[in-house]
Amino acid sequence: MTDMTTDTLPDDAGDETALHGGAEERKLGFWLTLPAQLLVLFIALFPILMQVYISLTDWSPLDGIPWYQAYELWIGLLNYVDLANDPRFWSAMWRTCIVMAICVPVQFFLGLGLAILFVDDFRGKRVLYSTILVPMMVVPAVAGYMFFMLFQSGGPVNDILSFFAGRPVTIAWLSDPDLALFATIVSDIWQWTPLMFLILLAGMVSVPQDQQMAAVLLGASWTRRFFTIVLPRMKTIIIIAIAIRVIENFKVFDNFYIMTGGGPGVATETISIYIYKVTQQELIWGYVAAIALAILITLSVVSALAIKKLRGAQQ
Amino acid sequence: MQNLGKDFGAFTALAEMDLTIGSGEFVALLGPSGCGKSTTMNMIAGMLDPSHGEIRFDGRNMNGVPMAKRGVGFVFQNYAIFTHMTVRDNLAYGLKSQGVGRAETNRRVGEIAELLQLTPMLDRKAAGLSVNILQRLAIGRSAVVEPAIFLLDEPLSNVDAAFRAVMRAELKSLQRQFKQTMVYVTHDQLEAMTMADRIAVMDHGKLLQVGTPLEVYNHPADTFVARFIGAPGMNLLKGRITGADTGLVADLGAAGHCPVRTGQGGDVLFGFRPEQVHPDANGPLQMIVTTVERIGARTILHLAAGDMTAKAVLDSETPVPDQGQPFRFALDADDVRLFDAETERAL
Amino acid sequence: MASISFRNVTKRFGDIVAVDDVSLDIRDNAFFCLFGPPLSGKSTILKLILGLEQPDEGEILIDGRPVTHVSPAKRNVAMVFQNLALFPHMSALDNVRFPLVERREDPARIAARVAEVSEKLHIGHILHKPPAQLSGGERQRVAIARALVRDPVAYLMDDPISALDARLREETRVELRRIQREMGKTLVYVTHDQEEAMSVADGMAVFENGKVRQTGTPEDLYRSPNSTYVAGMLGSPAMNVVPMGLAPRMQVGTAPDRAESLGVRPENLRVGEGDMAEIVEVEPLGGFTTLGLTFEGTDLRATLRGQPKFTAGQKVGLTVDSGRAHFFDAGGAAIAAH
Repeated sequence: MTDMTTDTLPDDAGDETALHGGAEERKLGFWLTLPAQLLVLFIALFPILMQVYISLTDWSPLDGIPWYQAYELWIGLLNYVDLANDPRFWSAMWRTCIVMAICVPVQFFLGLGLAILFVDDFRGKRVLYSTILVPMMVVPAVAGYMFFMLFQSGGPVNDILSFFAGRPVTIAWLSDPDLALFATIVSDIWQWTPLMFLILLAGMVSVPQDQQMAAVLLGASWTRRFFTIVLPRMKTIIIIAIAIRVIENFKVFDNFYIMTGGGPGVATETISIYIYKVTQQELIWGYVAAIALAILITLSVVSALAIKKLRGAQQ
Repeated sequence: MQNLGKDFGAFTALAEMDLTIGSGEFVALLGPSGCGKSTTMNMIAGMLDPSHGEIRFDGRNMNGVPMAKRGVGFVFQNYAIFTHMTVRDNLAYGLKSQGVGRAETNRRVGEIAELLQLTPMLDRKAAGLSVNILQRLAIGRSAVVEPAIFLLDEPLSNVDAAFRAVMRAELKSLQRQFKQTMVYVTHDQLEAMTMADRIAVMDHGKLLQVGTPLEVYNHPADTFVARFIGAPGMNLLKGRITGADTGLVADLGAAGHCPVRTGQGGDVLFGFRPEQVHPDANGPLQMIVTTVERIGARTILHLAAGDMTAKAVLDSETPVPDQGQPFRFALDADDVRLFDAETERAL
Repeated sequence: MASISFRNVTKRFGDIVAVDDVSLDIRDNAFFCLFGPPLSGKSTILKLILGLEQPDEGEILIDGRPVTHVSPAKRNVAMVFQNLALFPHMSALDNVRFPLVERREDPARIAARVAEVSEKLHIGHILHKPPAQLSGGERQRVAIARALVRDPVAYLMDDPISALDARLREETRVELRRIQREMGKTLVYVTHDQEEAMSVADGMAVFENGKVRQTGTPEDLYRSPNSTYVAGMLGSPAMNVVPMGLAPRMQVGTAPDRAESLGVRPENLRVGEGDMAEIVEVEPLGGFTTLGLTFEGTDLRATLRGQPKFTAGQKVGLTVDSGRAHFFDAGGAAIAAH
C-alpha cells in the first residue's frame, strides 16, 4: 500500500474535485448516503410538519383524540387570525425585542471592551480570564435563582444601595413591573456577556499581528488602528456573535421564569414564557403551534439576514 | 537625506555591533536563522529596545523614540497588506494616519501609484492580487510617507523559486528609483550578492564582516563567511604550510601539495573557490570524483580525498572524469585563501 | 522494479483538463523528473500513478501491465509527501517500520529489512530519535526509508525539498541522487526548480498546461530544447530570445529559412569590443558575473566567468559561441540549424 496515512497531495490542477472523487464517484456517494440523508431530513422536518398540521386545528391533548386525528378539529387559518389579534402575544413579542435591543448591544460593547483589555498581556490575566467565564458555565436556572435572591427587597442589592445611600433602601425589584424587567435583563447580561467576550476575543486575536504592526509603523494611532484594521477584520466574527445572541434572546426562559415567572402580571413575559404558559396552563396546542411557527419564521428571517451579511463580509 | 549611523551594545541575541549605513545605501543583513539579523532590524524599527548601545538616525539618538515616530518604512515578510481595503486605501493609510489633507493625500497616492504602475488597480481590493503586485504595494505603502530608512524583512522567502529572480530584479530597480536607504534581511546569499551595495554577514549575534559583495566573496574574514558566501561555498581543506626551497607549500595530505604565496609554517585551513578550480592533468592536486552534477551551463564535481571533501564548478563544455575516477587540478596561487586552523580567521 | 508508461492519458476535473493526452515512458530504475510550473499537471500524474485518480482516457502501464483496474494498494507504489508526513509521536525507527508492523510481518524480517534500508540511507545512528530532533535532511531520509521499507516497485516524491533553505537543498539533492542510485528503484520526482531537476534527474518531462512539451535527459533538453517554452524553463538566467533581425550583427552564421527568432543561452553570449549593445546592469556573483544588456530595445543577459570589469552604461559588442545558436519559428518551435 502507499503511504497515504496522514496526508493528501499538495495542490495541482483541480485538486478540490480531485480529492473528493470524480463525477461518477460523487454519484455513487449520493446513492450510498441517500438512506441516511432521508433519515436526517425526516428527523429535521417531522416536528415542523407536525407543527404546521396541528396549527391548522383546534386540537388539545384534553380532547381525547390522538394528534394525527386532529383534522377532525380543522379550523384552517383561524389560529393565525387569532394570533394576529392577540394583544398578549404582541406584547410578549415587543418585550422580547426590548430585551434583545438592550441585552445584545450591552453584551456586545462589554464583551468588546473586555476583549480589548485581554488581547494584551497583563498580570493576573489568566485568573481574571477564568473568573470572567464563570457566569457562562452556570446553569441558567441556577443563575435565575441567584438573581432572584440578589433582588429580594431584603437582598444584597438593596443592602449595598443602603450602604451607599446611608439610609435603608427597600426597592421591590421583582414586584415592580419596570424594575422586574430591568432585573431580568441584568441577569441575562451577567450570564451571556462572557460568551460575547470569548467570541470577540478569539476574533481579535486572529487579526494578523504584522498588519497591526504595519499600521503602527505608518503612524496610525490606536483608535485609527482599531477602527480601520481590527474592527473590519473582525466583521465576520462580530456578525456571528450578534446573530447567536439575537437568536438566543428569543429563547430566554430559565432565569426569567425563575426570577419573576413572567410577572408581575405580564411585565417580564417574553415570547418563550408566553408559549410555555399557553402550552402548560391553557393547553390549547393548536394555537401554540401557530405561535411556534410564527417565531420560527421570524428567526429564519433574522438568520437569513445574518448569513447574507456574513457573505458580504467575506465576499 | 544625511548619513545615518547606528551602534549597538551587547544584547542576548546580538553582541557588540557597530555598523554605519550611508544615506541611499542598500545594505543586506545576511546570515542563517537565529544569527541576530531580525533582532537588529526590529531594533532599528523600534519594535525592540536595545539593552545597551545606541541607534542613531542622522546623528540623532533613536533610543526611546516610539516606532511610529521614527520614520521607518517596514516591508514585512508576508507584506502585511491590508487585504480588506482597496489598493488606494492601502497606499493612503500612512498619510491619513498622519493627518495629511485629502488633496495632498490624493496627489501623493496618485504619484506613487504611477511610479509603481499600480494606477490601473487602485480601486481593486488588495485581496487576491499577485505576489509581485503585493510587493510593489507594500513598498509603495511605506514609500508614500517618505520614510528616512526602509527595512525589508526577507520579503522573497515566501516567493516561488522560479519567480524569485523576477522579484529580485524588480526590488532592485525599485530601490534605484527611490534612492532610499534600505536595510534588507535575508538568509539567501544570492539575494544579498545580487541586490546589496554592501553585505553585513552575521552569525550567532555577531557581525562577522561588512563589505561590498565582491569584497566579502573575495576576501572572507573567516571560514563562516567563506562557506556562507558563494554557491557552492568556499572549499576548506585541512593543511600544513611548510617552507620549501622554492617557496611556501601547503601540504594537503591525500590531496597533494600546492604552492602558496604567503603564510607562516603551521596548521591552516586552505580555502579556494569551486569556480577557481582549473582542471590540469599535470596539476599539483588530486581528488576522487564522488558525484558529477550537471546543471545546464555548469558541471559541479563533488570531490573527496581522505576525509576531506571539496567541490569544483566547471563549464558544461569541460570534459570531466567519471564518478570514482581521480581528478587532477591546479589553483592560481592568487586565488588561495588561508585561514588559521584554530581561530578560523583569515590569515 | 518497474517501468511506468502513460499511453495518451487524459484526465479532466470538470472543465479543467489537468492532464492532456500525455504519453510517457519512464524506464526501470530511472530517476525521472516531472518539471513544470504550478498547476501544469505534474501532481495529477503522480495521483494517476498511485491510483488515487483514474484516467478519463488512455492507459497507464506499470511494468508493461495495464493498471487501470488495479487498486492503489495492489500497485505497490510508495509516496513521499512534500511535508514528509512523519508521525511526530513516534521515533524514527517506529516511523520506518510502521508499514511493515501494520502488515504484521515477522519481527525478525522487519528488523532485517529496517537494518538494510537504514544502512543505505545512512540513518542507523538516528533511529532512536523522534522526528522533532532530526535535521531537515535527516527527516527527509527517514521519510524515504519509510516509503522504501516495504519494497515498493517504484516511489514518488512531490517537491520534497522545496521547504529547505538554499544551502541545504544543494546538499540534499546530491544525497537524493545517491540514494536513488543505491536503492535502484524507479523514482518519479516532481519539482518546479529547474536547477534541482537538472541536478538529480536522468530523465525528465517538461509540462505546460497538462501537456508534455518535451522529454529526454536533462542535458538533451538543455542543449536542444524543442521550443522557446522549454528553452525558457531550463537555465538561469533563462535563454535570451531575440528577433531574427538582430542575428546577423551577432555573427550567428546562416540561419534556417523559417527562423523568426534566435535563442542564445547567457553563457554562450560573448561580450567584447564594440558599440552594439549597452550594459544596464552588472551583477557580480563572485564566481560568475551576470550582465544585463540592451540591444536595439531587446533585453539580454550574459553570464561571464569570474569578475570581469564592466560598468553599467558601457557600450559593448556581442557575438554568439559558434554552434550554440538556437532558432525558433513563428510558433516558438525549434528548427534544427544546418
